[in-house]
Amino acid sequence: MADSTEGIGGLKYDKTKRAWPNELNIFFALIAIVLIFEALGQILPYMNGQSMLFDFNTKRDGTILNIARLKIIILQVSIIGIIALGVTQVIISGGIDLSSGPLVGAAAMIVMSFAQTELVNGNPNPKAVFGDWAFDLPVIVPVIVGLSFGAFIGAINGSLIAYTRIPPFIATLGMFLICRGIAQWWTRGQPVSFPTEGYAWLGSGMMPVVWFLMLAVLFHFVLRHTVYGKHTYAIGSNEDAARMSGINVQRHKILVYMIASMLAAFAAIVLSSKNLTAQTGMGQFYELFAIAMAVIGGVSLTGGRGSVVGTVLGAMVFGVIQSGFTYIRLDAFYQLMAMGTIIISAVVLDQWRQKTGKSRS
Amino acid sequence: MRKILIATALTSLMGTTAMAETIGATIARFDDNFLTVMRNGMVEHAEAIDGVTIQVEDAADDVAKQLDQINNFIASGVDAIIVNPVDTSATQAMSDAAEAAGVPLVYINRQPVNLDTLPDNQAMVASNEVESGTLSAIEACKLLRAAGLGVVGAKGYIIMGQLSNQAAIQRTKDVDDVVGMDMCNFITIVDRQTSEWSRDKAQDLMANWISSGEDFDVVFANNDESAIGSIQAMKAAGISMEDVVVVGVDATQDALVAMQAGELDATVFQDAFGQGSGSVDAALALSRGEDVPRKVWIPFKLVTPANMGDFLDKN
Repeated sequence: MADSTEGIGGLKYDKTKRAWPNELNIFFALIAIVLIFEALGQILPYMNGQSMLFDFNTKRDGTILNIARLKIIILQVSIIGIIALGVTQVIISGGIDLSSGPLVGAAAMIVMSFAQTELVNGNPNPKAVFGDWAFDLPVIVPVIVGLSFGAFIGAINGSLIAYTRIPPFIATLGMFLICRGIAQWWTRGQPVSFPTEGYAWLGSGMMPVVWFLMLAVLFHFVLRHTVYGKHTYAIGSNEDAARMSGINVQRHKILVYMIASMLAAFAAIVLSSKNLTAQTGMGQFYELFAIAMAVIGGVSLTGGRGSVVGTVLGAMVFGVIQSGFTYIRLDAFYQLMAMGTIIISAVVLDQWRQKTGKSRS
Repeated sequence: MRKILIATALTSLMGTTAMAETIGATIARFDDNFLTVMRNGMVEHAEAIDGVTIQVEDAADDVAKQLDQINNFIASGVDAIIVNPVDTSATQAMSDAAEAAGVPLVYINRQPVNLDTLPDNQAMVASNEVESGTLSAIEACKLLRAAGLGVVGAKGYIIMGQLSNQAAIQRTKDVDDVVGMDMCNFITIVDRQTSEWSRDKAQDLMANWISSGEDFDVVFANNDESAIGSIQAMKAAGISMEDVVVVGVDATQDALVAMQAGELDATVFQDAFGQGSGSVDAALALSRGEDVPRKVWIPFKLVTPANMGDFLDKN
């Protein structure tokens, strides 16, 4: 409520505070992390002074930028980033969604079985799930199947949370297990491979990045400039106030969870297309990384605060760290520890900044 | 009335124990491709034998859960237990529990830490990991020599599996051992990282390596999924697959398709199905009091474009 001057449930923002937006801090943190890696590249003896983002000497890509590195930094976080866009909305509305990772696994399995091609190198598809009718379907079929499955799971999540009033943590934890079960049951654990060319295009090359950025722009607009967005912030800031001011809180929550699950299902489509396979274990820890991206991006776990721009920057932080680890050839045994430390420090710094920021006003 | 019911229940119970044999099996994880083929080998083989029923549980990578499952099997009176250990160093307690109850136990696919002290009615059915990494690494070395790199030297990357897994550690060590041999010491390992067995992570990992601009000639992957992921990333970056030797382990169907396309150069077939059916045979033999060697080895086989036809329908 501190962010609003008048009106209901934090609908209006104090213009003076937006002069120094939270997103700018995350952007600076991102640059600081890049600089740390660049410095390590100069200091560590075995790196031979190699740079992370630049390529002054060989200019392989025709510029001084290391284009390949810039591409992989964002490519490797795009798919979890798509999930994080949905998670952002759920957290802003005051909830949490733990089911997105297993939903990715389940949706990938289901979708891929409608996207299979009949002939592989001229031989019959060895991984066929259904009969002849399911081969070489137009790409729209698996996409619609996937999004419908996502919407269905999201509707269950949302209805449970809105009508039975069980905590979102529990409802989506249950759905976490159910979805992992569905993923394993669908083909009894067998992976599903060899999609049609049309389906393979969805996640080929830099397409995951295109989808991620397009969806980010879309949901940035939706959250900032539509009634849906304003209601989402209002419910997250103060649910009772939102209800009393006439927002249909229950219906809105269901909508938020449906959108989040559809985004996770879409991530599954892109992921399975990128890898040309669907496996039951896909999406492991994606829910946690998606939440971490949002939180690093300044989305408050208490609800009502955060933005899509922040989450995209949070995703970029992950991408830079992941690439940076490989760049400095950090031993795999230390990577998880370093990653965990960075996540915790980022949030601690953010909390500390929030406190000092508030006392200043 | 109640007496009759109890009597029928008892006779039917005795009937089943007298005629049928039940096997309880616990698998480290259900969502692993290889273990799924192995599990299918178990189930299909057991169901094909008259009077044998098999119940398979998912330990979901949880050591404690797996021990509970074994104790539940013992409590429900199975004739033999098959364990695909989540953690090979946690098997002592499992062996103890089965031994105390007098139930035969067979470890499958992963070598238990207490292998040398297993009681007489316990055994292991597995393939020798030292073979797998070595077979594929030596094949890579041969291909590189044939390409004339033996003189000028070759650079390579290792994509490791899950670092908590014995097979990943062994297969990586196998590569190191091969590269350490006189015949193959022209190969330098530039970097080694983990993909946690996953195709997606291997793709990202390879794209990161490519972005460093370092030239390389060979990729040693601990498993085929990682090899395929690296191939996808190299193709996306416009690297010709004729210039890079890529070897994996497992001979999955996806890998053989990549081999048909000329992208994967060698892989190693681990007979998952054979391990599964072999474990059922060993379990039944032990439950009938027959002698079973402590280590039942199911051999690895090198798969190259020359002989891949033999393996297309195996995994």
